[in-house]
Amino acid sequence: MDPRKILEELDACLKKAMSQGLGKNGLVFPIDPAAVEDEQLRPFCHRLAAVFDMVNESYKYAEHLSRGDLKAKSSRNNIFAMPLKGLQASLAHLTWQARQVAEGDLNQQVHFLGEFSDSFNHMISSLREKKMIEQRLELITNVLGEGVFLVDSHGKIVFANPEAMRLIGYRFDEIEGALIHEILYKQQLNGTLYKPEENPLFNAITSGNDYNDEDGVFTCKSGFLMPISLVCRAVYKDNILDGAVIAFRDITVQKKHLQTLEAINELLEKQATTDALTGIFNRMKFNKSFTNEIQRAQRYNTPLSLIIFDIDHFKQVNDTYGHLAGDSVLKNLVRLVASNLREIDIFARWGGEEFVIQTPETSLDGAIKLAEKLRSKIENHDFTEPEKITTSFGVTSLKKGDNTISFINRADEALYRAKKGGRNQVVYMENRHD
Amino acid sequence: MHDSYDFKWEDLGDLSDGRPNLGAETSVIVYRLMQYTFKDVFSKKLGKQKTVELFVKAGTLAGQQFCRNVLDTSLPFSQFMAELKEKLISLKVGILRIEAADEEKLQFVLTVSEDLDCSGLPIFGESVCDYDEGFIAGILEEYTGKKFMAKEVDCWATGDRTCRFEVKPVEALDGPA
Ligand SMILES: [Zn+2]
Repeated sequence: MDPRKILEELDACLKKAMSQGLGKNGLVFPIDPAAVEDEQLRPFCHRLAAVFDMVNESYKYAEHLSRGDLKAKSSRNNIFAMPLKGLQASLAHLTWQARQVAEGDLNQQVHFLGEFSDSFNHMISSLREKKMIEQRLELITNVLGEGVFLVDSHGKIVFANPEAMRLIGYRFDEIEGALIHEILYKQQLNGTLYKPEENPLFNAITSGNDYNDEDGVFTCKSGFLMPISLVCRAVYKDNILDGAVIAFRDITVQKKHLQTLEAINELLEKQATTDALTGIFNRMKFNKSFTNEIQRAQRYNTPLSLIIFDIDHFKQVNDTYGHLAGDSVLKNLVRLVASNLREIDIFARWGGEEFVIQTPETSLDGAIKLAEKLRSKIENHDFTEPEKITTSFGVTSLKKGDNTISFINRADEALYRAKKGGRNQVVYMENRHD
Repeated sequence: MHDSYDFKWEDLGDLSDGRPNLGAETSVIVYRLMQYTFKDVFSKKLGKQKTVELFVKAGTLAGQQFCRNVLDTSLPFSQFMAELKEKLISLKVGILRIEAADEEKLQFVLTVSEDLDCSGLPIFGESVCDYDEGFIAGILEEYTGKKFMAKEVDCWATGDRTCRFEVKPVEALDGPA
């Protein structure tokens, strides 16, 4: 075979390939190199045949790569395939990077791939920004100390922030997809269950209306009710109701605080109205109720009497037995007197060893009898230290034109007279001006 | 003169003081000239296998020192690798890419393109990046605290355009796999 013949055969083969493509069989070297007699031409033909093989192989290799087959291989000595190997390596790396990004690794960057690098790296920076905003949102909801739920338009829980989980005691996978009005917001403040159609949160979620509850309860995982305040706002997707965001906070502490305040207020009021030693009303409280009682008696023209009494020689008790013994006498005396009074009588410590009793609906006679009974009980009571004490009583009843001062002064005058008259007795004043 | 020398990072010297005009960079030609003439002389004195062994060993030491002095080993893996990639580009060592990573088994397939040691070399038909193998293993050893082995399975010099390394902890090679 002469060189010209070989060239013509080659040309025919290439001509066909250039007009019709490589086809299924690729470039077929038109002659058998082993059959070439010329010793100088034979290695030349072998090399050409090898180039044909390389072209075919790199063509197939490129086809595989173009279909995304990154496992495709090409011989190491194939000089036509070499740039494709670089591309293959880049694609293999990009595949891995895409997977990393999908798993949240935003450290990936693509280098030296022209516009593709720009696009990819731009995507990463967008994702980083989005992630940062998400992190900030999460931080904000946590800093606020509010639980946040996102529910769909049926009330199914699709998102909850960590604070919400912490407050209600559930893990997210335990409540994901659960209906918020069936698992959390199902009871009223007094513990009774909402009727399904009357659940205000459910109605707000399904209607898209705003809903606030300043004084509600969530049923926690433990079954306990947690006092909460919540806000529910609808969210929309493409102008269609898509569910709601529900933010809530635990108001147990505020509630406790309120209860404590109530208790403190009660205590303060008690302190302001009671005598610390004996526990009965003090003079201030007595005056207040006395004024009211006088007005009432005058308006309805009903009797009202007043008894003032005082322990005889109480200074000697203190001096002889000490103040503790004195205090004990006062307490025992109060217990004794109080046990002989009616519910409507008002008994107060006037100061020192002096006491007052206002007796509504009681005539002067009735009051005198009561005073006498008390004087006698006291006289016969065993006070231990000292064994015996006596008391002096002044009694009077309300007259027309009386005010608190004139009324009390008259009773005081009677007591003075009882003291003067020898103590351990009851003296009454009918009317100072009589 | 001591019998042996222990490398210290400080021995790299103060380049701003020492090279006020020429600066910290040199050419790849000079780097390769040194590496391949070392290879020539070592292999004639010690044999090729021993030479490769020593190159891997030196690469490992370089990787450890590089990691200790240049990289932040407190970073989580993906960030650490991202930083390593940036550093290798800025120091013009090569373009490091990960093709596969099993963070649990600590097995990786890495490629280095435009590699300092071999990119653009004639096709020798065998991989030549022995020093790189050590360098990669050394970095991972320093980061994880485990012994690593990096094997170059493809190389520019084998016609593969990019150098591809399979990297595994040494115990994984010894163990029952
Ligand atoms: Zn290489």
